[in-house]
Amino acid sequence: DFRAFPGVLAHLEMLEARARREAVQQEEKEKWEEKLAFLKARAQELRLLRDELRDKVEQQEKVQLGKEGILSDPSPRAVLEWKIRSLQNLLQVFHLTGISGKLSNRSACFSIHTAYEGFSLDSFHLELLLRPGLRIQRHSIPAFIPLEQISRKLLHSDLRSFLDLLSRHLNAFVGRRHQLELLQEHFSDWIQGTPQRNSLCNLLSFQYHIPGKSRSFPFQARLLYGDPCRSLPTEVTVSCSPDAPAPLAEAASAHSELLRNTALHRAFHSLKSME
Amino acid sequence: MDNSICQAYEDEIQALKEEIRLLTDKYEDIQQESTFFSDEEILKSIKLFQRETKGYESPSDLKAQLETLERDLSFLMKLTGFHFTSHSKKTLEKTRNRTVQKHRLSGKCHSLSFQLEFQLLETQNKEKVSTVVTDLSIIMDSREDSDVSKFVSSTEEHGDLVTFFRSLSAYAEWYEHRRRTFLHFK
Repeated sequence: DFRAFPGVLAHLEMLEARARREAVQQEEKEKWEEKLAFLKARAQELRLLRDELRDKVEQQEKVQLGKEGILSDPSPRAVLEWKIRSLQNLLQVFHLTGISGKLSNRSACFSIHTAYEGFSLDSFHLELLLRPGLRIQRHSIPAFIPLEQISRKLLHSDLRSFLDLLSRHLNAFVGRRHQLELLQEHFSDWIQGTPQRNSLCNLLSFQYHIPGKSRSFPFQARLLYGDPCRSLPTEVTVSCSPDAPAPLAEAASAHSELLRNTALHRAFHSLKSME
Repeated sequence: MDNSICQAYEDEIQALKEEIRLLTDKYEDIQQESTFFSDEEILKSIKLFQRETKGYESPSDLKAQLETLERDLSFLMKLTGFHFTSHSKKTLEKTRNRTVQKHRLSGKCHSLSFQLEFQLLETQNKEKVSTVVTDLSIIMDSREDSDVSKFVSSTEEHGDLVTFFRSLSAYAEWYEHRRRTFLHFK
């Protein structure tokens, strides 16, 4: 009758619990030791592989200094794989000229890769259906680019010119946007407030001052890029408030001239170096 | 049961995997960039490869890939008018998210030939790959021509390949048109 021995029951439960705990701890310890052994072996394996590769590359560099080619007696598969990689490299070169394309039986897919002065920027895509008549199936051209107008004029008569004109619009848009981004990045302490721009980035207006000089008479710049295929503005107005001192008013017209002829961020670099 | 020991091994394993990846890339790059096979050697290899794999894996895979690439390239060359006659590339530097390559390219657009050399910096930031063209040098026979030298000098200065090729294409077409007109009147 255990009611007479409550301590015994409790003691038995305690022993049971301890045994369970110790079993769990033992299991965990064994698991950990197993894991450690595995990691040790894996590291060793990789170290050997790494050393092997290092030797291979060193050998290769020695041979390269001497002979013309390394692949002595290559298998047909190796030759074909070499050719495949060469062709892929050539496609990469086309990509750098601004275009990629793939032709299939039913469609032609083009990508226009934009860049500004060597810096790659956005890529835009077009899928053209070839049959029954050439038409645009899908595209990622933004709505403010006159795609329909351009395709009406050129798509069916001169595919090359169509892509060329589209590429001009896109590169100019991206170039204008990039110039503004560079301006905001490098001249954030010159700019007051937030520059205003439209989606096409061909209308720009912002306020700026030259650091160290009078903050209370900021310049107001307004740029209009009348030619959507160019990344330089056609009209620039730089003004300052009517009660600003005369030298500032003179500076405003000099700035205006500079901004008309030089890329936005570069114009500001000139202004900075003149200070 | 010190977790830091396990962590140290795990870190080493990651570092080794990364190093192995870079060494493998380097080995393959050097292999690729210092070899050349002529068109006859390619054709011969295609025949040998087809014979070898007859009955085993589908021999068409490599051959099909080759044919697709050649078709896409020929399509682009016809479309753009740029015929690249030779291209070589050398990997100068390669780390986890940064690659620097030196490219040499020659080709023709209509009757105008050109030779380019440039460096290409490729950086990987999350999913996006960006490239920057630097040290662009352009050689063209007609460079003394004032029209040509205008677009060549400015695009060369800024590494602007896109504008160079666009200007080249426009100029080459005009030049070709003028040449044909003169011939017509001879």
